[in-house]
Amino acid sequence: MPPRLFAFVLCVVSCAGRAAPTGMITYDTRPHGTVAAPLILRTYLPDPGLGDVVMSHHGKGSKTSEYSPEIGADVAGEVIPLAGVPAAIAVNHGPELSYVFDTTEGRLLYAWRGGFLDMYPYWGVKEMGTRLYDYVPKLVGTLFYKAAGKHPIEIDGRSVSEDGAPRFVGYDLVDSQPTFTVRHGSHLVHTTVRPVTGQNAFRVEFKVEPAGAVAYRAESSGLDVKTVSKGNGTLVLTIAGPSLGAFEGYSRKVTIKEASAAAGEQFYRNYGCAVCHSTDGSMGHGPSWLNLAGHERTLLDGSKVMADDAYLLESMKNPNAKILQGFAPNFMPPYSQLGDLEYQSLILYIKSLRPGR
Amino acid sequence: MLPAAPMADSYVVEDIPFPADVAAEVGGIGFDANGLIYVGLRRGDVLTAMPTADPAKFDWKVFATGFDNTGGVIVTAPGRIVVAQMPELTEATDTNGDGRADRYRTLSDAWGLSGNYHETTALTTDGHGGYFVALGTASHRSPTFVYTRGEYSAIGRRGRNFSALKYRGWTMHVKADGTTEPYSSGFRVPNGILYDDEGNLWSSDNQGDWKATTPLYLLQQGNFYGHPSSLVWDSKWPAEKDPLATFRADLAAYNKMRTYASVEVPYLELLRSGSQPIQIPRNGAFGPFGGQILLADAASKHIARIMPEKVDGEYQGGVTLFINEQGLRVSNNRLAFSPDGRSLYVGQTSRGWGATRGTDTEGMQRISWHGTVPFTIEKMNITPRGFRLTFTGPVNAAAAQASGYAVNSYTYQSRWVYGGDPENARDHAVAEVKSIDPRTVEVVIDSFLPGRVYHLRLAAAVTSATREALSHPDYYYTANRIPKD
Repeated sequence: MPPRLFAFVLCVVSCAGRAAPTGMITYDTRPHGTVAAPLILRTYLPDPGLGDVVMSHHGKGSKTSEYSPEIGADVAGEVIPLAGVPAAIAVNHGPELSYVFDTTEGRLLYAWRGGFLDMYPYWGVKEMGTRLYDYVPKLVGTLFYKAAGKHPIEIDGRSVSEDGAPRFVGYDLVDSQPTFTVRHGSHLVHTTVRPVTGQNAFRVEFKVEPAGAVAYRAESSGLDVKTVSKGNGTLVLTIAGPSLGAFEGYSRKVTIKEASAAAGEQFYRNYGCAVCHSTDGSMGHGPSWLNLAGHERTLLDGSKVMADDAYLLESMKNPNAKILQGFAPNFMPPYSQLGDLEYQSLILYIKSLRPGR
Repeated sequence: MLPAAPMADSYVVEDIPFPADVAAEVGGIGFDANGLIYVGLRRGDVLTAMPTADPAKFDWKVFATGFDNTGGVIVTAPGRIVVAQMPELTEATDTNGDGRADRYRTLSDAWGLSGNYHETTALTTDGHGGYFVALGTASHRSPTFVYTRGEYSAIGRRGRNFSALKYRGWTMHVKADGTTEPYSSGFRVPNGILYDDEGNLWSSDNQGDWKATTPLYLLQQGNFYGHPSSLVWDSKWPAEKDPLATFRADLAAYNKMRTYASVEVPYLELLRSGSQPIQIPRNGAFGPFGGQILLADAASKHIARIMPEKVDGEYQGGVTLFINEQGLRVSNNRLAFSPDGRSLYVGQTSRGWGATRGTDTEGMQRISWHGTVPFTIEKMNITPRGFRLTFTGPVNAAAAQASGYAVNSYTYQSRWVYGGDPENARDHAVAEVKSIDPRTVEVVIDSFLPGRVYHLRLAAAVTSATREALSHPDYYYTANRIPKD
């Protein structure tokens, strides 16, 4: 994204009128909570490399042939599944701690510090809110804990992983702090996570019902696990970890030096054009880009327009200026914030879309 | 007889602002019995406010948060809501009476989640303490995740809109006893579901692959409504058999297996992306159309009005435009009537499914009836020879003449392509118009055959007895059946 749009993003946060009452989720793509009132955000989440053992109760997406809706059949090419966690819950205590609790595996997946999530890839900005292709948010901060191996909790000397798929029950808030509850076989396991001020660490309390001896099996040799207290059915630990990576959110830099069709294809996917405009002639919410450039099209009022560079540029910047027959006005957002290299790349990409390509 | 007035004076649209900066992406609206409104926003918050006469004076507070793409909110008691979110159906309760939910319980997560952006949810009650949840399919325009919530089907992954995970493209029944069962299949993007006051379950769907135009279906357990991908999760469908390839090759078998729409809503003329159907209250607080169904559009400034009727025991009916702009925004996603029935709250969102253009496609509005009645067809009933049209008021002489009506008819055939134009179109002569009473006529149509959608365009000469113009000239009727004499 060019600097101009970045400036605009900042303006959404700081230049609008009356601010939302504290605690409401806004157009700010970097939402956050506080230690006293953590923010709970359920959304698709990044997968920092959790692996098959941790994700053992998930299904596994496979590579798929590219499907052409124009001919209704598979064509050359493959679609590769994306990294992401589908049904987990992220919690943020401000800069002190963020973590992800997964409802499918019934456990903490990872924790980080110094930020939360950059929702830009999914939420977009107010005036250009179309979902982008890469709609998994990006981590912000230092990752210091990542689940490894089977579920770490043992009750009376038996791993809860022997009970098969866990069942997520829900969560309760006490003084705004969430406690997650999961059923493993005949036991309920409650998990409460708090920050440890100033450190790459968290405090976690496990409570099991019915009560039994609770033990935590260390997940990786790099963690510093200390027992704070232990009782019949309870276990309180602090878990500290080394930096596993520093993350800065979504990169908003456009690095290309000159316009190209290849860059245009990337923008086509990243900026959400692909949601409505096909490249194979098939119908969508907007006109297909196949064979569009250099061809005449009919407008709503029956007049004709030549799809030349000027038309394509105008249709990006001010899409309501000329609406083609068969399509609705007021549908496409104006993409008026892009830089010249992006516009020119998109035009080159559209021009490259010829039959038989 | 209520006084007549133009549509824009009879039904008035007002903007209900949220606090500045709040991402006003409405995914669910509900009311408690005290009239408090609960609005689920797609980024996670559920806000509440007591509606005020001044639309700008709602005092919004956060009731609950943490929901992933809310697709429906039902208030079961003050301080207790049920929310359909992308991964599950959740109950959120304020147990200590401080105005904030503090207990969140999963009522059902008996369906998969692929990681694709397009897997919508819609919610209604079952009238017996349970719920129906309509699950959208994924879009081929983006992939699934490596790790999916639930079993993955490579066959279900094929096609334009796909069902790689369990029960995508199904309606689920989450019963009061806590069990969940798949109810009916064959949906593409069923972005709205309604359990009406007579116990009928309706859903809309989105025009696209295997959906020629916007349908309104009457849902019955075990039926298949036409989008094949969901069949990979039907225990009666043979394993390893590709439903897309099967039906692409054999349209006759497809037509035999599927249940047709009760009402086909013409694409673009009326609706583009049908969203939530809602029943107009019968108490008269919203005007004369009590019991009929409004169907909103997530991609235009239209709301359609559907006039269902039973013919030979099966529902079918007419449809026309109800709201045509009048200040309504684009992207009308979720609707709810206030408990007194006077106001229809309409929530908008478009992020991810279409496009967002500032305030034009996001927010909430309220449509209130102002006591006058627009001149339109109130009821459209099929007869053995044509249609009996009951207007909202007495009609002029032109309404009883054949020249007042242009009639054509056509068919729709859903298939693997995206959408479908009307087929087998033909014009019909109007043989006769019979005057039944001062506001009712019967239009007798030549070559009147079942299995077609009839389009009646009324001439400008047809007005009320006091010369009010029709609020909309076009009326459509899905004549699956024609009654016998």
